[in-house]
Amino acid sequence: MQIQDLPYSDPGVPDARSGPRFLWWLGRNQLGGQTKSLAWGLLHFMSVSAQPFCVGFAVQAVVDRSGTRLALAGALMALLGAGIAIGDTFLHRAAVTNWITAAARVQQLLARKAAQLGSALTRRVAAGEVVAVSTGEDEQPDKPAKGKRKRADSGDTAEMRLSAGAITMVSTGDVEKIGWFVEAVSRFTAAALTIVLVCVGLAVYQPALGLVVAVGLPALALAVLPLLPRATRRADFQREKAGYATELASDTVAGLRVLRGIGGEELFLDRYRRASQEVRRAAVHSARMWSLISAIQVLLPGLLLVAVVWYGVHLAGEGRITVGELVTVYSSVMVLTYPLRHFEEIAMAYSFSRPSAQRAARVLSLERATDADGSRPAETPAGDLYDPATGLLAPAGRLTAVVCGDPDAAGRLAERLGGHPTEDGPSVLLGGVPLDELPLDSARSAVLVQDKDPVLLSGTLRELLDVPASGDVAAPDALGAAQCGDVLDALVQGSVDAEDPMDARITERGRSLSGGQRQRLALARSLITDPHVLVLDEPTSAVDSHTEARIATGVRELRAGRTTVVFTSSPLLLDRADRVVLVHEGEVAAVGVHRELLHEDRRYRAVVTRETEEEVALRDEDVAIDGVLKELEEKELEEIEETA
Amino acid sequence: MIGVAPPAYDPAAPTTANTLPVGAPSTVRAYVRELLQRHRRAFVLLVAVNTAATVASMVGPWLLGDLVERVSDGAHELHLGFTVTVFVLALVVQAAFVRQVRLRGAMLGERMLADLREDFLVRSVRLPPGVLERAGTGDLLSRITTDIDRLANAMREAVPQLTIGVMWAGLLLGGLVVMAPPLAPAVLVAVPLLVAGCRWYFKRAGAGYRSEAAGYAAVAAALAETVDAGRTVEAHRLGDRRVELSELRIRQWTAWERYTLWLRSVLFPVINVVHVTVLGSVLMLGGVFVLQGWIGVGQLTTGALLAQMLVDPVNLILRWYDELQVAQVSLARLVGVRDIEPDAGDATLTPEGREVLAERVHFGYREGVDVLRKVSLEVAPGTRLALVGPSGAGKSTLGRLLAGIYAPRAGRVALGGAELSRMPAERVRSHVALVNQEHHVFVGSLRDNLRLACGDAEDAELWAALGAVDADEWARVLDDGLDTDVGSGGLALTPAQAQQIALARLVLADPHTLVLDEATSLLDPRAARHLERSLARVLDGRTVVAIAHRLHTAHDADVIAVVENGRITELGSHDDLVAADGAYAALWRSWHG
Repeated sequence: MQIQDLPYSDPGVPDARSGPRFLWWLGRNQLGGQTKSLAWGLLHFMSVSAQPFCVGFAVQAVVDRSGTRLALAGALMALLGAGIAIGDTFLHRAAVTNWITAAARVQQLLARKAAQLGSALTRRVAAGEVVAVSTGEDEQPDKPAKGKRKRADSGDTAEMRLSAGAITMVSTGDVEKIGWFVEAVSRFTAAALTIVLVCVGLAVYQPALGLVVAVGLPALALAVLPLLPRATRRADFQREKAGYATELASDTVAGLRVLRGIGGEELFLDRYRRASQEVRRAAVHSARMWSLISAIQVLLPGLLLVAVVWYGVHLAGEGRITVGELVTVYSSVMVLTYPLRHFEEIAMAYSFSRPSAQRAARVLSLERATDADGSRPAETPAGDLYDPATGLLAPAGRLTAVVCGDPDAAGRLAERLGGHPTEDGPSVLLGGVPLDELPLDSARSAVLVQDKDPVLLSGTLRELLDVPASGDVAAPDALGAAQCGDVLDALVQGSVDAEDPMDARITERGRSLSGGQRQRLALARSLITDPHVLVLDEPTSAVDSHTEARIATGVRELRAGRTTVVFTSSPLLLDRADRVVLVHEGEVAAVGVHRELLHEDRRYRAVVTRETEEEVALRDEDVAIDGVLKELEEKELEEIEETA
Repeated sequence: MIGVAPPAYDPAAPTTANTLPVGAPSTVRAYVRELLQRHRRAFVLLVAVNTAATVASMVGPWLLGDLVERVSDGAHELHLGFTVTVFVLALVVQAAFVRQVRLRGAMLGERMLADLREDFLVRSVRLPPGVLERAGTGDLLSRITTDIDRLANAMREAVPQLTIGVMWAGLLLGGLVVMAPPLAPAVLVAVPLLVAGCRWYFKRAGAGYRSEAAGYAAVAAALAETVDAGRTVEAHRLGDRRVELSELRIRQWTAWERYTLWLRSVLFPVINVVHVTVLGSVLMLGGVFVLQGWIGVGQLTTGALLAQMLVDPVNLILRWYDELQVAQVSLARLVGVRDIEPDAGDATLTPEGREVLAERVHFGYREGVDVLRKVSLEVAPGTRLALVGPSGAGKSTLGRLLAGIYAPRAGRVALGGAELSRMPAERVRSHVALVNQEHHVFVGSLRDNLRLACGDAEDAELWAALGAVDADEWARVLDDGLDTDVGSGGLALTPAQAQQIALARLVLADPHTLVLDEATSLLDPRAARHLERSLARVLDGRTVVAIAHRLHTAHDADVIAVVENGRITELGSHDDLVAADGAYAALWRSWHG
């Protein structure tokens, strides 16, 4: 696999039964790359380790006053130089390729899993969390209290929200660690093989000294390993502190307008300074451990060197070894610390990557709660939309408005109207066909449910509006109906070089736009899709009355002849609906048109005019008279219109 | 063809306009100087321990050279015990100082990093409210997360390691000159190659790594969005497209990986050849010198071992240099915030009275385009003014002028006779508060979230404020009371609860004039109704300018101003305007049935 061939056309089916199995599966899938890395690694490490022999050989040549042998040493040096350069470069290429292909494969698997899980994943992942995770905070999902978000009002899908966080976390922090370990295995193997070979070689070349080195080196390799867990723990602690500080800082900045408007800057600065100093202390605490490790890495090979010198000079003095051989062994010990470092690296890579792989495996083994394939063949039914649970009926081709006192209940009802909901219950019927039994894709293409908090995906406006659609509604018409004129102006102003608003970029979740602007763009997107049935849940709650009135007219015209269901309590929208349904306590309580219900139904009036029950009761007496007057007015109006 | 061209698509290219300035090179230099000045002592200390460590590390090769010299001369008295003692001592000294180098380096780096991030936040919270309103917080947010993060590595590792590396290499060369002077030129043979290779590489590396990092961040961002937008993705059947997008991002990222890998594929052989050339030329030239009798075998041995030791510092320098290049860009973005002048305001200006007055106000965000034209308005103390009108008509802008956040281009906005835009922001907000849709709940305790409005408030006052907005009911049942952690990561509050907290802050801050910009607009009707009652209690007795988008708010106001196209087109009480039968009346009829 070459880097330029990425991404994989098919990343495969991972063995996600456990973390180590997943690591093994990744490694097994790049055997070719691993072999390459091993081969180049051997060339590189062996050439590096052979250099001391050259140095010793040259020194001995000089001692023996042999110009020829000195020249030979030079030639050998050049040859080894070529081996080192080629080996190093190609080892690096092979290793980086292995790392990248492993990382890309995991990212692809995650993307597929996220797309497959869809709505099952999450309602709301708080902005702060995403920022914290994407800045590399290594938050453990299985850690209690802090990692889990509690919610005050409802037991919303806490578990799923957790897994949504986990996917984001795996993709930002864990993939690198997984790739690192998978890649490091072959590099480590090459280094370990080299050390064994050099020790054997030294023992053969110079048995007495070689033995000292062969016994000393493994001790060096293992000496710092006991310190590593503590060092990595301290590093983790530091990262945790740093993550918290970043969270505080971004949180303070996110709420900066509030702070500047009301005060409290010093309170938050003090808090941040404390957190920042804690990070510093944790980092220094961690550095103490690493500096100890560095000192040991200097001291132990140094002691081995002293032993080699002491024993070697003895031997040389007795004439049992030559000066050149002494220099060779000394230089070898110096050089071998390089492959020796790989022992530490692999130990660290494994301790870092194991929890990461565990998380990845857990995320990759998540499944949807409902059967996305459905029990019926794919079809796109048409006709009236009917919910047996509440008795709600949305006649085909008409604009139905639903008023529901409880917004949470409205949200659940809207979700059910689309089929395949998260809650159990009898299926909604479209033209008599139970939507839950259709394949998920068919149900979604027949009915589009725009929830209360539709997300604007980042990209250009053109990309945002490029959704699977019937093709009958052009973008300008939809944008016009949703009254997006000022949004387009704002987008052009905020972009670098876009002249055409369609090329202007929308930032993540449309954060650069106001709540009302976001709502209108989301509405335009839904209108372009032009589904048989469009269900809108509070589509204009953040839009001012003037604009809302125009949107009501625009949507009505654009959706003429199509089935539309709007959950709202805004009189401006209700007034333009063909049919208004009041759902109370999970059942249809009244059906009619807005003006009629406003005068006749006390509960309806309470929801729509935001008056309290008492106020409604008080005003009811006037209403009787008022109503008569209004009716008279309306009759007059209609007569005027007819004559006109 | 050998070689990889930089990919056409650059993920690091800015997509949204920089809403805040980026520091000029001179500003960045001045800041770096200031930072080094502040940490001069730690820096000197690092240099000192590093010198000690490096000098100690050269004792070994020197002793071995000495021994080799004597052994090859056939000397009988080697003083081996003495030599080994010195060797061990030097080794212990070296180990101790290496430990100090690592530690001092980290301490210096961490101090500078802490200073940097704290300085940045201090600057950020001093930004004039007008700049914040206009620039939004997105740019700041990306600076404090992404840029600080990139700088962390540079400060924590690159600065100390580069300092160490440069000194280390220099001292080794110095040692070589002292112990085997004729060998010094042999080291220089490889310098031209090193310089040429590094110039080629570093010219390309900085930008390459920046794009590579941005490309990788984009891979994660695409996935995070898919996850975040799970419901939308499923409703619009965008699953396949999201997978395609993720794969496109992977292709763009790996294209940059491939490019930087190519850069290293050139650099690595160069570096390796340089190392081998240094060692080879020291050995060969030195060998010839020994044969000529110009130097001893011992000097040759010492020279060769020192040349071999040069590998580490050179690699260290190369390893961290490009990190510093990447960091420079981030530093410029952080320091850029310093270029914004905090508007000091005229501290002597004090309003007398509570009357809000706007006189022939003109205002525009861009040169030549006025959003408001010749707006005049008078709000008597204690009255409620509602601004209504279509989106983009300028009512929010007018609200911000009345709250003293923007200064008018022409005309004046005054409170009690004092011009708002000339007062310091801290003074303005003790009189006027702007309440918008943004009801940020800060990470931290409920107490901190309230106390920001009134730093010295007692718990009893906080409870009273919560009670005033009907929030004490749910707050009382919290396990930890006012100590309960809220905000991201803590207890997640409903939007209505967040709004109650915002209102409780207002109760504590106690300004006499309030500008409400769609304060309850993001709430569902049920919560809004409940909250409006709390709000009414908070507003009692204060002057209120409400940017209303629900008409019942307008209905309850004393005066309604209809803003259309940057002008006030209708002004009067609800009954007046309905009677006048203009735009407002039409809307009211449609709304109220």
